Amino acid sequence: MKKILLASALSLVTAHAASAEIRVGILHSLTGTMAISETTLRDVMLMLIEQQNAAGGLLGQQIVPVVVDPASDWPLFAERARELLTVNEVDVIFGAWTSVSRKSVLPVLEELNGLMFYPVQYEGEESSRNVFYTGAAPNQQAIPAVDYYLNELGVEVFALLGTDYVYPRTTNRILEQYLLDAGIPQENIFVNYTPFGQSDWSSIVADVVALGAGGQQVGVISTINGDANVGFYAELAAQGVSADDIPVVAFSVGEEELAGFDTAPLAGHLAAWNYFMSADTPENEAFITAWHEFIGDTNRPTNDPMEAHYIGFNMWVQAVEAAGTTDVDAVRAAMYGIEVPNLTGGTAVMLPNHHLTKPVLIGEIRADGQFDIISQTEPVAGDAWTDFLPESAVLESDWPGLGCGMYNTVTQTCVQIESNY
Amino acid sequence: MLGLLLLIAPASRTQAQDTAAGPLQTLLQAQADLVANASRGTVQQVLDALIASDLDGVPTLLTRWQARALYQRSSDGLFVYVETEGANPLTLIDIDTGAEVGTASSREVAQLRPNRGVQTVIASALVEFQLSSEDPADRLAALAAISRAPEDFHLPILQDLMATETDDDVLEVAEVLLPRLIIAFDRDDADRVAAIESLAGNVSIAARAALNPLLVTTTEVAASLPDGANIARVLEPGAGLSREAAYAMLVAAELAPPLIPRAQIRETLAAQVVDGRVGGLPVAQLNTEDARDRAYAALVAEGLAPPAPTDAEIDAAVSSHVFYEVYREPSQAVTTAARATLDGIETRVGLFRVLDLSLDGLSLASIYFLAAIGLAITFGVMGVINMAHGEFIMIGAYTGYVVQTLVPDYTLSIAIAIPLAFMVTFAGGVAMERLVIRWLYHRPLETLLATFGISIALQQIVRQIFGTQARPLTPPEWLAGSVSLNDVVSISSIRIAIFLLGVVFFVALWLTLNRTRLGLEVRAVTQNPRMAASMGINPDRINMLTFGLGSGIAGIAGVAIGLFAQVVPDLGSNYIVQSFMTVVVGGVGNIFGTLIGAGMIGGLQKYIEWLNPTNTLAAQTYMILFVILFIQFRPRGIIALRGRAAGD
Amino acid sequence: MENSIFVRNRSVPIFIGVLTLLAIAVTVLSEGYGTGALSVSFTKVLGMTLCLCLAALAMDLVWGYCGILSLGHFAFFGLGGYMIGMWLMTARTEQVVRANLQNAVIPPTEAEISAATASQIFSVVGATDWPWMWAASDSLILSLLLVVLVPGLLALVFGWLAFRSRVTGVYLSILTQAMTLALSLYLFQNDTGLRGNNGLSGLQNIPGLETVGQDRISIWFFWGSALALGLAYIGAAWMVSGKFGSIVRGIRDDEQRVRFLGYRVEVYKLFIFTFTGMLCGIAGALYYPQAGIINPDEIAPIASIYLAVWVAIGGRGRLYGAVIGAAVVSLLSTYFTGGRAPNLNLGLFTIDWVDWWPVLLGLGFVLVTLFAPKGLGGLVDVIVRKDRR
Repeated sequence: MKKILLASALSLVTAHAASAEIRVGILHSLTGTMAISETTLRDVMLMLIEQQNAAGGLLGQQIVPVVVDPASDWPLFAERARELLTVNEVDVIFGAWTSVSRKSVLPVLEELNGLMFYPVQYEGEESSRNVFYTGAAPNQQAIPAVDYYLNELGVEVFALLGTDYVYPRTTNRILEQYLLDAGIPQENIFVNYTPFGQSDWSSIVADVVALGAGGQQVGVISTINGDANVGFYAELAAQGVSADDIPVVAFSVGEEELAGFDTAPLAGHLAAWNYFMSADTPENEAFITAWHEFIGDTNRPTNDPMEAHYIGFNMWVQAVEAAGTTDVDAVRAAMYGIEVPNLTGGTAVMLPNHHLTKPVLIGEIRADGQFDIISQTEPVAGDAWTDFLPESAVLESDWPGLGCGMYNTVTQTCVQIESNY
Repeated sequence: MLGLLLLIAPASRTQAQDTAAGPLQTLLQAQADLVANASRGTVQQVLDALIASDLDGVPTLLTRWQARALYQRSSDGLFVYVETEGANPLTLIDIDTGAEVGTASSREVAQLRPNRGVQTVIASALVEFQLSSEDPADRLAALAAISRAPEDFHLPILQDLMATETDDDVLEVAEVLLPRLIIAFDRDDADRVAAIESLAGNVSIAARAALNPLLVTTTEVAASLPDGANIARVLEPGAGLSREAAYAMLVAAELAPPLIPRAQIRETLAAQVVDGRVGGLPVAQLNTEDARDRAYAALVAEGLAPPAPTDAEIDAAVSSHVFYEVYREPSQAVTTAARATLDGIETRVGLFRVLDLSLDGLSLASIYFLAAIGLAITFGVMGVINMAHGEFIMIGAYTGYVVQTLVPDYTLSIAIAIPLAFMVTFAGGVAMERLVIRWLYHRPLETLLATFGISIALQQIVRQIFGTQARPLTPPEWLAGSVSLNDVVSISSIRIAIFLLGVVFFVALWLTLNRTRLGLEVRAVTQNPRMAASMGINPDRINMLTFGLGSGIAGIAGVAIGLFAQVVPDLGSNYIVQSFMTVVVGGVGNIFGTLIGAGMIGGLQKYIEWLNPTNTLAAQTYMILFVILFIQFRPRGIIALRGRAAGD
Repeated sequence: MENSIFVRNRSVPIFIGVLTLLAIAVTVLSEGYGTGALSVSFTKVLGMTLCLCLAALAMDLVWGYCGILSLGHFAFFGLGGYMIGMWLMTARTEQVVRANLQNAVIPPTEAEISAATASQIFSVVGATDWPWMWAASDSLILSLLLVVLVPGLLALVFGWLAFRSRVTGVYLSILTQAMTLALSLYLFQNDTGLRGNNGLSGLQNIPGLETVGQDRISIWFFWGSALALGLAYIGAAWMVSGKFGSIVRGIRDDEQRVRFLGYRVEVYKLFIFTFTGMLCGIAGALYYPQAGIINPDEIAPIASIYLAVWVAIGGRGRLYGAVIGAAVVSLLSTYFTGGRAPNLNLGLFTIDWVDWWPVLLGLGFVLVTLFAPKGLGGLVDVIVRKDRR
């Protein structure tokens, strides 16, 4: 009796897997506070899958997207990820935006040996066996931007403004150490954290302006997230802070955030990314055309995390083709060294530490809400563990070589196989 | 792509010269790489060469380069001007002759985009050309460039200019600029002191920026105080300077042996392990600090490790040296004058800061007031807890957004949006009152749940219609700037407008409630609905109108809040708890109370923020804690109603 | 005494019976011990739902029976989660650190292990030291005590302040709302020691049980949650059935009159408030190891409002009502936002449940408040009355 029950239950579960299709889980919030950013990523994934299917699918099978809504609720990310992996039996997950949501999913991925592509620039200090990080690590975004400030703009007083959560906190900690190493004294570094959705910026902007009283060039490094930027830039404009007086470089403001609001007073302020919509390459033009066609709105911008998904998805497709299967271990082994053209020129290579090589672009905001790319580096290899914090400088991640994402090069031991959650 | 350019540029140089390149082109091609990849640190070289050449086209070239109208053709590295950016194809113009040399698509040429740093250097090089220009606007631009990056050679140029300048505007700017340049670059200390003293009482950032660098000090250590140094103060170890910091300075100056930190002891021990033993102890026993110290001492005794300095040695080293701060500026007369002037300025700045802080507090208070005043009516006067109040604010803001997409003129659209937002939310409020609230008057806690349901439904519906993206609500031009008294006190115009709107609301509501028939009826119904009904007042109608009024005001508040913050579906929920607290703190059923409550909460939050400027979240937390405690002592708010109206 | 409860309150034996049947059914169908028809993730959802039911039960005691509409009880729930979360993180991280440091040339000191553990846990917020509130985190026993004591203490202090100055009704609701907002803002700060917006994560990995699969652990937690709910139900039923229950209901209906009768109303209210705070703490401590992560967002004011809404939908003033409300609403939410509900095609317009579920939920609240003030539990009355006829 029990055998029959077991068999029928098994057949229930395996019913999906038996059919000739490959399942891709999309784990992006469609409701709640993060929907503003993540919905677009769901759409871009649907587009990429549609394109791939039109081109004959993968391994002769059609790719079926499985979309779930974790509703910007962090515990729900873990729950949905578990469902995707065990109930929907997806072969890979593309998803998460905030670091908290990633940390929520991590234990589930590592327990069930799932595979996830994470498309957003983040604070680093992590390298999971089960995650490929297609967004920028701090050395691919923040450090080059600070170098630009130091060398090109001659900034001597730094205001690090951020939303109060892990990405700005960790990034600012790395930057603070980096600036101290570069000879900027502690008293010339002003740090401020504001809550999500902060709208009352007048006194903070006034504080930043007052930093100019020391007679040195002031620059703002902004890790302000999401909606709060609207109020922040409006206040900058209202107080007449031009990019010539006090430049602002933002790590979380892209075309999507600027869409629709009057950017004329912001012209000249900066953003650092690995992708700008204004990049003038044939690949980018094709991508933008396809996106506009898919979404049916020629005003919709493209942005950096979208490019990250584009690269991540194409890498995964190549890896699956190389491995001849969607089995996670085989695909992971095939991922290392895979190359996909960046939309901004050059190629992205998947490194043994699960990060990418990416060029760093610095763009100036234009009056039309796009960016003028004023500096583009050669591709920079993503560094999972920053070299600028003493406790992280000794750590290294090399999955194919050392089989470890957190390897202490001094003691020559693997600190842990699983990640810190 | 830039890399590609680099490869091509040197090869093509000769080619460009072969085709009879003009003198400017030749000059640029000679340093093509530095031009194409201009950096603040290296561009000066190019500029020097250009200026030394004394060619006529140089000012134009610099101006265009700075304005990003200079392009480089990828095929042969030729530098050209492009006059209309974004045209397809682009028309290429020769930089020497001004003649058209052909066309190209945007991918065949690279726009040279000097960054702000390079632009500043170019602007600085342009100063001399611009100052001799006929056009006062050019001269003003030159002064702005000097102000941004003053150099010592600017001082004589500026003095020459002021001797001949006739334009009042230019002269005014130059007069402000002159003392800064004198302070920074003049060689005569008496002149500098005079210039410093001329800045007395000047609270502008520029004045402080001129004075502060004079007072920069470095901390140094020596066996005795050096002669002739401009010493700011002597530091006493233990008082102004901790003993550890003092010793660290000695170590850094190599005047004392370094301390041995714990980690170093462990590493030294680990490096000296022989046969599982080190310093006479088996390795397995080294899991306490005490054992490690003993093992390390044994190593020191054998001469295998450096000894750690003892406390007595540290004390002796510290006490045998002097620690002092020395000004970088060598002239004592200058630093003394600067100190005195700056002290005077800073006192004034402090006073102005208080004023600025008060204005910020007032502004925040007026925003809280606007958000809460509608609630004060529905909650305070009617006793209905409307959790959907925030959503009426949000709907008001979206109404403004919709009007702006239909009416492109911002002033006009705001003028339409305000009454329209009132009407929309008034209608919404009346509908809600008729359909839901009036069935629940005897169950006040359940209105909370029902209106909460309406709130999440409305939020999601708006999200469905407008998407999750933040929508812009742009203020008209005349509200975009700010009003500033000086560099310390300034407030954006939009905040002044919101403040005025708050005042208007307050007066209008007060008059409505106290001077009109409707107000009389509202107050009557509030105090005793049955008695009011028996006097011929229709309480149903009054409740409906009151609720509509409260909701309508929320709609207008939404337009105002949308103008300075972001219009998102959860706009309202960000304000709802604060609004309830404002009403409760102020005292329910009294718009004066709401005013005072908003003033208190706004002012308090700004004050706590000022105490801890790096953490805005903490300010909000402590503000709420304060409110909770405050309610314990005045459970009915600041202005408590007395008598029957106080209810329960 | 126990017997009398089972007799006096007919819902108790029925409820315990249903709960037991559910537990058996889930066990039989689970992956850990049975046929595997129920996925681990669904077992976890069921376990977590039971915890929410427990919180709703507490909410019903404080609101449905005592008339205090607290909009801050989820703060106690969250605190319970944080208390157990600290132990889970510390113990797990310490194991990893110990295993790693054992390989070093020089064996580590206890201080070094402690410091390394702290820097692993707090590196995300840029700290390396143990904050004071983690002092008890290395002891499971102490942490379990804190699960009850910390929410209890907060409820006691807050309740004492509020009831002493006779803050009642709507004012109290808003004040409790402010309390949970203040607590969540406080926890959001990175400097306050509980890892700010990151919260505590990886809580599903129970230290010492690394070799046991999540399929088993999910069932154990399900049992634990069911047991806690069952015990709490019996306790609550006993509490509200005696003289104490009558007084508490009296306070709900007319506080002044009870006070004039000579009862110290404040003491009763304070007791109920604190007791339910502790219950919520226990529920939270069982919930978050199943959810895997706790973060200040969890105790945002809206969560507590939802708690009240569940009770209202289920039916106030009847213990099973609260349980039904919490179970129905949270399970439906899981279903509709899980992406598995088929879209509803209305011809012109397709209703995508992920998008439209909140609208439906909100309107549902309104309709229940307007037309079914007794909630879903009111249906039971109808059935029972039919029985009697």
